[in-house]
Amino acid sequence: MADLQQLYEAVLNGDAKSAVAVTKEALAGNVDPMTLVTKFMVPAMDEVGRRFECEEYFVPELLLAARAMKGSLELIRPLLTASGAEPTGRVVIGTVKGDLHDIGKNLVGSLLEGGGFEVTDLGADVSPERFVEAIRAHNADFICLSALLTVTMPAMKNVIETLKSSGVRDQVKVLVGGAPVTREYAAQIGADGYAENASAAVHLARSLLQPAA
Amino acid sequence: MRLKLISCEIVFREMCHLLAEAEHRVDVEFLPKGLHDIGASSMRKRLQQAIDGVEAPEYDAILLGYGLCGMGLAGLVTRHIPLVVPRAHDCITLFLGSKQRYADYFADHSGVYFRTTGWLERAENMNQLQQFSIQSKSGMGMSYPELVEKYGQENADYLWEQIGDFVRNYRQLTFIEMGVEQNGRFEQQARAEAGERDWKFEKLRGDLGLLRRLVNAQWDPEDFLVVKPGEKIVVRYDDSIIAAEPAS
Ligand code: B12
Repeated sequence: MADLQQLYEAVLNGDAKSAVAVTKEALAGNVDPMTLVTKFMVPAMDEVGRRFECEEYFVPELLLAARAMKGSLELIRPLLTASGAEPTGRVVIGTVKGDLHDIGKNLVGSLLEGGGFEVTDLGADVSPERFVEAIRAHNADFICLSALLTVTMPAMKNVIETLKSSGVRDQVKVLVGGAPVTREYAAQIGADGYAENASAAVHLARSLLQPAA
Repeated sequence: MRLKLISCEIVFREMCHLLAEAEHRVDVEFLPKGLHDIGASSMRKRLQQAIDGVEAPEYDAILLGYGLCGMGLAGLVTRHIPLVVPRAHDCITLFLGSKQRYADYFADHSGVYFRTTGWLERAENMNQLQQFSIQSKSGMGMSYPELVEKYGQENADYLWEQIGDFVRNYRQLTFIEMGVEQNGRFEQQARAEAGERDWKFEKLRGDLGLLRRLVNAQWDPEDFLVVKPGEKIVVRYDDSIIAAEPAS
């Protein structure tokens, strides 16, 4: 029987090899795949996010943990799909048109993926039309927009406008971020949420999933 | 008039050229280009220190040779004398001479990395402020040998794929020639860089007009913000870019 705590440790330590090995062993021993995700991997990624937020972890640690998580998710996902389990939520993410800064966006994407979301990353310099297409193609619940230039912040507003004119605005929650973006700006352009770092972005997305009671 | 210019060294050659023929007496303090990389709040702190350090009675105004630089100027306060700031998102406006020209160029050219004399000789491989930069504090600026040493060969190969090439998304290098280059060596260096990466190369004629008006005290409100004593710089999400408000 696999020691599942090792899966938690492997993800937290960014050890892709062990993560995959423990996952294989667990699945062979008929451990419920959903349990692996919710009880071990997601909590490990939450801890990774927390450490990143308080600067105990840096970009490399975060990328390695995300890779370990991905490696084991690849084994688990087909089983989840076969059993009809839905991901926590579907996310389309990208850096807005004209902007090529993608490091922060990549970290947000990785942590969301680690948090159980299904993430489609459109890359950098993404036009509003491509966001709309991707929302339709992936039936997204969230769209995450990143901008690092004050020059490209208005492009976030353009995306929201295009979502409206294409009739998909009500289908998705729009989250925005990037160093120059503020909560105030997010509210001004009618986004649904703003977070200042990758770990806060995961909490934000989760909180928006809970329908207001 | 006696003016005090606090400027990023990214415009060092341009400013020296303009100051030599300035209409007023302008004293200058250049701050390191490294402020670009330390994040908005640390950048603001250092700029505020420089502003507070100006012997106010000596001068009629303080000039900033900066753009907004990703919120790096937001919140700056002047206590005793006016502070004059070009309405610009970043230094590319200072080189192109107008925010409109930057906006237009930006709109029809994506994937462009800009180079000027300053961006070539003062932007890279400089150790100033390095330990404070976002790149080194976040670990994303580590070299390949450093990654191997810290994370092992296999992990380092993966990480290098992810963070080894900052400019993988770019397609073009635009060299802005300001007319302060003695010879073609900067252009050659920029062309060589574009060639190495297989990027399109374009040369644009820069325009010193905006910086000239800054140092010559021709501060039309369309292009310059004059912050009065007791006010601070705030951001505007429209063409005016920045505005002034009471500091408290
Ligand atoms: C690294 C860097 C670069 C790298 C980018 C590498 C890459 N592949 O991304 C390179 C060198 C290529 C580069 C290029 C340029 N840059 Co640059 N760059 C930076 C720098 C130093 C750090 C950015 C960074 O990666 N931070 C680390 C990451 C982890 O942080 P982050 O992106 O903020 O992301 C976190 C949060 O914001 C949040 N987040 C991010 N996205 C999202 C999205 C959502 C939905 C949510 C919820 C949260 C969220 O979570 C992330 C993780 O915690 C900043 C300085 C600064 N103050 O930010 C300048 C900066 C952004 N660059 C600047 C400039 C001027 C440029 C150039 C124009 C320079 C040139 N000579 O051409 C070009 C731009 C080209 C273009 N069209 O995009 C200016 C922008 C000024 C402006 N107009 O606003 C800045 C602000 C520097 C400055 N002080 O002036 N740059």
